[in-house]
Amino acid sequence: MLSPDEAADLIEAIAARQDRAAFASLFRHYAPRVKAFIMRGGTDAETAQEVAQEALIMVWRKAASFDRGRASVATWIYTIARNKRIDLARRAGRPAIETEDWLTVFAPEEADADKSVLAGQTYTRVKELLGGLSADQLVVIQKAFFEDKTHTAIAEELKLPLGTVKSRIRLALGRLREALEKEES
Amino acid sequence: MSHPAPEELLLDYAAGTLAPGPALAVSLHVALDPAAHRMVERLGALGGALVEGETAAPFDEALLQSTLARLDGVAVESRPAPYVPRPGFEWAPEPLARHLADGMRWKRVFGSFEEMRLRLPGEHRVSLLRLEPGRGLPMHRHVGEEFTVVLQGGYTDSTGNYGVGDFAVGPGPEQHEPIADPGEPCIALIVIEKPIVLTGPFGRFLNPLVRRGVI
Repeated sequence: MLSPDEAADLIEAIAARQDRAAFASLFRHYAPRVKAFIMRGGTDAETAQEVAQEALIMVWRKAASFDRGRASVATWIYTIARNKRIDLARRAGRPAIETEDWLTVFAPEEADADKSVLAGQTYTRVKELLGGLSADQLVVIQKAFFEDKTHTAIAEELKLPLGTVKSRIRLALGRLREALEKEES
Repeated sequence: MSHPAPEELLLDYAAGTLAPGPALAVSLHVALDPAAHRMVERLGALGGALVEGETAAPFDEALLQSTLARLDGVAVESRPAPYVPRPGFEWAPEPLARHLADGMRWKRVFGSFEEMRLRLPGEHRVSLLRLEPGRGLPMHRHVGEEFTVVLQGGYTDSTGNYGVGDFAVGPGPEQHEPIADPGEPCIALIVIEKPIVLTGPFGRFLNPLVRRGVI
């Protein structure tokens, strides 16, 4: 296993001295997980592997942009992998947004900026939180993250009124906010 | 912030499912609204937890070796310099910067407002609009979805007052006629799925031009 701090150390080693051993450790941990995550959306194994490989190469390129005070390594890699998946879909005919646009959310900020409370320990909390969602709420969140569906597409697929899907999303995100704000305060 | 983006749109954005135009609108709102920024961070953490929680697929040593070989041609980039808006575009948040080409300038449309059209892939019309204080947009109603983010100044219509960072979603139930607030000119990003339909006396005359993308 790789603790959040160990993972952040590895990325900083890449940024500081192009450390290939650190990259290999990150790759061993995250490439198979990213591949498994991408396959959940119905992507075939070969394509999912390509996404994982491209994502980890992007981690190498952008290592100096990582800020452990603002996001966990898992969150950062999720963001990169998500964008790689979109790039791939774009090649298959769907337009998409640039990786950098979204990475600015986690970009390093000035010293006086609020540090994100989500760095580091939240993985466990977020997992607990997902366990606490109702089945109805969980399914909309999973469809968004795993299957790349907009809330409109989710409503169509589940044959639910758009308002019902919106309120499930708002309830789920309300619980997420509540649970994390407890830690923030 | 009195007008946040709806949370289901933040989820779509965080999960990467929005088309380029709406994604740009949400990214500007996120850049300007701390609460929206925090929610998108939380959703990123959720995505990270989902990845971390995966059971690792069987590991392929050859894939690691081929990836390491590819790193020879890939430089570790230095940390990007802090964003500085280009002169004349001080109101432009960072995610907008890549869409502002050199030599872009405001074009007067109806006499009361100016437009700068952005070229994004996808099926939305994406524009920056600038309204002098006290001036309005022509009376119109929405046909497709419409997203507005205020970047400078503010405007008021029948649904309320919108300031910097505020996010408005169409189609609204009624026709509306936004008027720019006193002070600085109002600058906003407008993302429209289908052409708006003008409903005033001159508007009806202009609709064919709007439909053809002339204005």
